Amino acid sequence: MADQLATASQRGLRPALPLLLPAYLWLTVAIFLPLSAMVFFSFMTDLPLAGKEWAFTLGNYAAFFSQSLYSTLLFASLRLGLEVTLWCVVIGYPAAYVLAKVLKGRSREAIFLLVILPFWSNGLVRIFSWAMVLREGGILDTALNAVLPFKINIDLMYSYPAVIIGLVHSYVPYMVLTCYLTLQAIDDSLIEAGRSLGASRRQVLWRVIIPLSMPGLIAGSALIFVPVVGSFMEPRILGGRTGTFYGTVIEDQFVAVFNWPLGAALSFILLAVVLIILALAAPVLRRAG
Amino acid sequence: MRMPRLTAFLTATAVFVSAFTLAAQAAEEVHVLNWKGYGADEPWAVANFEKATGFKVVNDFFNSEQEMLTKIRTNPGLYDVVMINAAFNDQAMAGKLIQPIDVSKLSNYADVAKDKAGSPMLNHDGKVYGVPWVWGLTALAINEKSFDKPPTSIAEMWDPAHKGRVIIRDDAVEAVQFGALASGQNINDIKDMDAVKAKLTSLMPQIKTFWSSENDWNQMVASNQIDIGTYWSGSADRAKTHFKLPVSLVIPQEGSVAWLDAFSIPVGSKNVAGAEAFINYMIDPKFYVEWVTKVGAPVSANTKAVEALPEDAFNRKVMGSPEVAKRIQFQAPITDEQRERYLALWQELKVNVK
Amino acid sequence: MATTRILEWLGRFYIVLLLGFLYLPIIIMAAMSFNASPFYQLPFEWTTDWYASLWQNDQLIAATWNSIEIAVITTIISTVLGAMASLALYRYEFRGKKVLQALLFPPIAIPWLITGTAMLIFFFGVGIGRGLIAILLGHVALALPYVIVVVSARLQTFAPELEEAARSLGANQWQVTMRVTLPWIMPGVIAGGLFAFAVSFDQFVVSYFLSTPGQTTLPVEIYAAIRKGFTPEINAVSTIIIVVSMALMLLTARFFKFGGEK
Repeated sequence: MADQLATASQRGLRPALPLLLPAYLWLTVAIFLPLSAMVFFSFMTDLPLAGKEWAFTLGNYAAFFSQSLYSTLLFASLRLGLEVTLWCVVIGYPAAYVLAKVLKGRSREAIFLLVILPFWSNGLVRIFSWAMVLREGGILDTALNAVLPFKINIDLMYSYPAVIIGLVHSYVPYMVLTCYLTLQAIDDSLIEAGRSLGASRRQVLWRVIIPLSMPGLIAGSALIFVPVVGSFMEPRILGGRTGTFYGTVIEDQFVAVFNWPLGAALSFILLAVVLIILALAAPVLRRAG
Repeated sequence: MRMPRLTAFLTATAVFVSAFTLAAQAAEEVHVLNWKGYGADEPWAVANFEKATGFKVVNDFFNSEQEMLTKIRTNPGLYDVVMINAAFNDQAMAGKLIQPIDVSKLSNYADVAKDKAGSPMLNHDGKVYGVPWVWGLTALAINEKSFDKPPTSIAEMWDPAHKGRVIIRDDAVEAVQFGALASGQNINDIKDMDAVKAKLTSLMPQIKTFWSSENDWNQMVASNQIDIGTYWSGSADRAKTHFKLPVSLVIPQEGSVAWLDAFSIPVGSKNVAGAEAFINYMIDPKFYVEWVTKVGAPVSANTKAVEALPEDAFNRKVMGSPEVAKRIQFQAPITDEQRERYLALWQELKVNVK
Repeated sequence: MATTRILEWLGRFYIVLLLGFLYLPIIIMAAMSFNASPFYQLPFEWTTDWYASLWQNDQLIAATWNSIEIAVITTIISTVLGAMASLALYRYEFRGKKVLQALLFPPIAIPWLITGTAMLIFFFGVGIGRGLIAILLGHVALALPYVIVVVSARLQTFAPELEEAARSLGANQWQVTMRVTLPWIMPGVIAGGLFAFAVSFDQFVVSYFLSTPGQTTLPVEIYAAIRKGFTPEINAVSTIIIVVSMALMLLTARFFKFGGEK
């Protein structure tokens, strides 16, 4: 069991340093210094380039508060993150349970690999393939019309539902994976014990299984919520005219408009919000477990 | 006794090869900065130019005008030729990024249409800062299947019959300028922004999605999901002739946005002679005809180049008509402040859409 | 028991549904790679032209090789560095250890959008600029936390007495590591390596901001193609990749247990 403490007993930082240094040095150069640079940039008016005037300003941050469109978009992105995560829990957790508890041996391995494999197909082309399924006259529309006695017109493309479907499809394997890892570690004898003591299936589920697999649910949720909140690619392609989110606006600053300081400020605000949410959510969920 | 001979032969070959490579390296390079897939990087064009002049072409690309300006600023002396939209030329000049061009060195310059060559956007203090290259329109294009008769007014986009079947480009400046046309204003001198905003707000529910590439537009019309939208003139022609899609270009009576692309030479270029030769090749009729035939292109600013096309060619017949010339408005430079205002308006519209 | 049986079959049915959902777009993607229409138009017309023209598409092929190279190098570097760091965190106690462990969190907790743009800003300011080196720097940084987490998890199952026993028999630190610890944690290291490869190979956002025309990875090239205009060649290359991945996965499954059986 993962809970068994098997840590070492040697003291001191010095012997650990040569092992630690390379990895953490890399992280410093590639992550922590850039983040610091981004904070620095976010307080400038312009990129410090030869020939261009620049000065320090709080204007970029002020823009977030003065223009309501940014906070509207931020809420939209947060809401998107939450919805996608919830759908992934609803869809992914039962699948993980079946994988961990119902399937055995070869079939379990095979299905496990099949669930992971979509990770290896290119995300963008997958999204584009959804366009073929969801659009008017697309596969879903044609299939439903062939089956149902009356004519209906399904056109889900370029809408909020399409963005949700695309994102859930991309990220649900994370949830299945993390929940599987924790569910698989739950000893079957615990479940049997609960049943033999007279508990109903539902009680066993709520009182034993879910609490024990909470770490998997939390890990999966974090792995899904964080990227989705910042996503811009799927909303752009699937969302059509409703596809503007916080992530797309930030992307615009760096690619189209070229206002890097504003992009940096907006990014940092997003980061702060995400970290606050993660910090608040973790103890709440842990207590529920 | 064979060994020494062999050695001598190998040494001679080595010397010869290294001399050859040194000579090849001594051949100067021309660094070109342009949109990707926009003429200057066509493999056959590069090959033709290199063969004719001995210069080696090195292509680099940008994804937006702002990126282009930043690239010139952050790489002084690297680029020899930069393609700058005429509306951005004065910004580049004011930023001391481009230098005057000695047009006497360009044999084809004399054939460039006078109005384009003399455009105030490209000439400052009597010096030429940009050589007109190609121009085109951002007009309307229709799905022929959805119309018995082609519409004549821009108001067609607002017709409820097309709700959810309109497509426009995700570009703040373009959207605002279309709003200006729809509200009867000059795109370069918009006096009534509220009218523009009202027009665009009522357009949003009509829109299905935004396009950012030709392919997006073509896909939408191929799967019969749109009736009408804004589109580039050259792309509409290409969709019809090359891809055999039911697309027609419509230049509405209210007018259409026109743009002019031009070549400039950045300050500090290390190969001005090579730059001049390249620009001259870009406006050459031989290059142009091959470009139009093989790939499809906007209209050349060189009148001789256009005349070299077959008589019924789109770029000659439709785009060359004086009727069209009367209705189009060329984009002029806008200030950074105006650009930000347009952007804010556009973002607000996109956010509040339901 | 009957209810259990019914529930179990419902469960299996559910998995089938889920797999259907997961693979629907993939099957379509593969199908369209054999369809003649460049605009994904139906009716379906069989052709292998897109695969043929794929070989001429130097850009896509270059981008694919870049992706593979970067992923391989990323895997090697991040696995070695990550395993070393995990060992250190496992073996030694020191002040600030909790801080170091917490510092592994940011790359996962921060949206890639922000990490990517931050790297863009910093590398630009420092002179590294964009390109394949920048992308490699970014990918290793993103993969490291995954490797460390996975290897550390595996180390949790390791009995420290084994190390002590070996040391008491006269082995020095290096021998202990190589002969005792490493073999035990090898499955974790390999799992971490596979994770690292996946993270790098399909990484889009960070690569997007750090790439420059001519030095891109496959996901970025596909996005550029989608934005600028593309043909189903990208379907062809994606289909090839997923088929190859499937084959690789099956191979590794032969040799390493994925199911986590105790």
